[in-house]
Amino acid sequence: MKRFAVLQLSGCAGCEVALLNAEAWVAQYKLVYMPLVVSAEDVPEVDVLLISGGVRTDEDLYKLRRAVKNAQQVVAVGTCAISGGVANLGDRDEVRALFLAERDRPHVPRLLSKSHPVDAFVAVDLYVPGCPPTAELFMAVLTNPRDFQASKVVCQECGRQKLKDVKPAHLLGFQQGEVLPDVCLINQGYLCVGSSTRGGCRAPCPRAGHPCVGCRGPSDVFIEKESDVWFKSIKRVFASMTDAPESEIEQGLRSPQLAMFLFQFSDYAGGDRLPRPKEKVL
Amino acid sequence: MPAATAFRGPKRKCCEMMTLTFPLSRIEGHARVVVDVRDGIVQSAKFQATEFRGFEYLVKGAPAGQMPVIVPRICGVCSTAHHVASVKALEDAYGITPPPLALTIRELLMLGQLLQNQATSLFIFTMPDRLGVDSIFDVNETELDGDALAGMAARALQVRQAGTHLITLAGGQFIHPVKAVVGGVTGGISAEAAAAMRSELADALLVACALFDAYWGYSLALSARLGTWGDDAPACYLTAVSGTRPNYYGDFLRLMGCEGGDVCAQFPACEYRVFLTVEEAEYSYAAQTSFQGHVLRANSLARANLVDSLGTPCANEYLQRFHREFGQPAHAILLYDLARGIELVYAIERAMEILAGPLEGAETRIPYTPRDGEGYGLVEAPRGPLIHHYRIENSLIAQAEFVIPTVHNVLAIERALRVAAERYITPDRANLELERAVGRVVRAFDPCIACATQH
Ligand code: SF4
Ligand code: SF4
Repeated sequence: MKRFAVLQLSGCAGCEVALLNAEAWVAQYKLVYMPLVVSAEDVPEVDVLLISGGVRTDEDLYKLRRAVKNAQQVVAVGTCAISGGVANLGDRDEVRALFLAERDRPHVPRLLSKSHPVDAFVAVDLYVPGCPPTAELFMAVLTNPRDFQASKVVCQECGRQKLKDVKPAHLLGFQQGEVLPDVCLINQGYLCVGSSTRGGCRAPCPRAGHPCVGCRGPSDVFIEKESDVWFKSIKRVFASMTDAPESEIEQGLRSPQLAMFLFQFSDYAGGDRLPRPKEKVL
Repeated sequence: MPAATAFRGPKRKCCEMMTLTFPLSRIEGHARVVVDVRDGIVQSAKFQATEFRGFEYLVKGAPAGQMPVIVPRICGVCSTAHHVASVKALEDAYGITPPPLALTIRELLMLGQLLQNQATSLFIFTMPDRLGVDSIFDVNETELDGDALAGMAARALQVRQAGTHLITLAGGQFIHPVKAVVGGVTGGISAEAAAAMRSELADALLVACALFDAYWGYSLALSARLGTWGDDAPACYLTAVSGTRPNYYGDFLRLMGCEGGDVCAQFPACEYRVFLTVEEAEYSYAAQTSFQGHVLRANSLARANLVDSLGTPCANEYLQRFHREFGQPAHAILLYDLARGIELVYAIERAMEILAGPLEGAETRIPYTPRDGEGYGLVEAPRGPLIHHYRIENSLIAQAEFVIPTVHNVLAIERALRVAAERYITPDRANLELERAVGRVVRAFDPCIACATQH
């Protein structure tokens, strides 16, 4: 039986909770370390080590470095592990100053200056974006990532129809007003970025009537590129599918909730590192 | 079980200070317990949150309208509660009331949250303590009494999944849901989908009751073996539900004083500072709340003490039995876990009732105009009353405050830890049972550290 462990750094535990929903592993794999559900002191030898959360404290860093030594394969799951995640919303000077002030508390682990991606410190074999990744993605990681079948982008998994002749004059943002079933959310004026977001989640958000906010990150076409390549392309989608003024599109897309997800492979991971190869991304 | 490293220290001499550190597992987030002992006398027992999330800083400057998507990321275990509280805070600021159908669907969301959380806490976090194993996934390998335990992990996950499916149905996805939006919800629930969910819940109800009966029995056996149900000194209780057929969607906060009896104060979220004192602790990233100098308690036991009847058949029977056997108010901390089981059953039954009614066809959201100002959103999360408070300027969050249920329990956790420590530490020895006791005490309160460390 394959053995796996889950190391939870600074995150929300959503990734762990999603894994619990992939209950099929229970019969096939031995979970040897996952503080949320198993009492065990250290990560023992494992075939697969899943890491969630960003590296935010000196304790995170210590645990991370120890854990990878015992793992055959290291997988970064979720936006936080890949980019530092939602904590990067506060990656601004004034917020950073506040966080650094918090470092003075004695007796508790020291905060680092920001939430770092896991691969800033250790080599990662596989990246699984999503906030959190779905149960299906977790099962694919554990069984055989190469066999995982997914569409290139979320649009192909969403089932809503893009209408050529319906062009909203203005954007409604993310969530205002009625949502028609079956019709593409952009046709209805919503800021849906499913057209450039990598598939594999099966589009739960647009199916439920909420625009895709891009938590799976950029599709393969953009993943190794700078974020403004993605930005220009998504602007073109809105320019062709709506009659909204360019300034409105520009402003709408400059959104923190989109940025933290869509730039998880580029800017947010810390500009000067090499892009992560798309072959390593599930 | 991991051994507390401090026990391996050098032999204790007289007049010596000894610090015992207990790492914690099977709770949400990173925390540890530190007990200071001098000459065999417990000096202090501290609950330390060792991670810092700081969302009050992170969201400053975020567009107010994006909060319902951003703030669920505070915590993946209770993301639904944050999602709904956030939408309510914005609606309060904008001065709008969503249509009735939207409120019903949001109640369903909160029931899904309750079901998912209580199943996780009961079966995954605390059942192993009753069975003496490291994890529920080890149960199959142990040689405990056959039937009740056969396939326990799978059955526990089945119950838990009914909760996650309910959240998915009402919220779009079960972690970080999206369907609650300012002004209402993005859509109704079709009759077919509701019927399918009902039948899944009906199956889950049987399994949940069977597992809970077993759990109740193990808990009795545990307390008999230990000779205690843990810290049972009186405390004050805080919750946003009371009376009959509680609605976890939340309206007012209610306080029960240390003497028990009736609700001694009822107030809206915006007045919480009048009644509650919140203080920072320098040894932890989590703050602590008190009420007029008294220890405060929130979460399942607070609700079991303030709710008189649940109004659904099975859950109500359990609650009456609970009140009969342990009194109302009941104070012993291991009763938190039993109260959680009662709510698990309630969540299933109440959700089935709601799903039997029409959930589509009527209006699900109303138009609105965002405006600047201040708003409060209150829900009864599984861990107790959760408040989101936003000040909005130029459509951006100028200030956000998250009043977190776990923070209300911190002093109660520390008091209960001290009781346990005094029980197991004597001048000549520290009983190894202390380590297990520490785990049981903390898990009884089901703290959530990812939530508790925002400022
Ligand atoms: S990626 Fe999302 S779900 Fe996972 S830990 Fe981070 S915030 Fe939580
Ligand atoms: S843009 Fe959004 S709503 Fe439209 S098809 Fe793509 S994912 Fe679906």
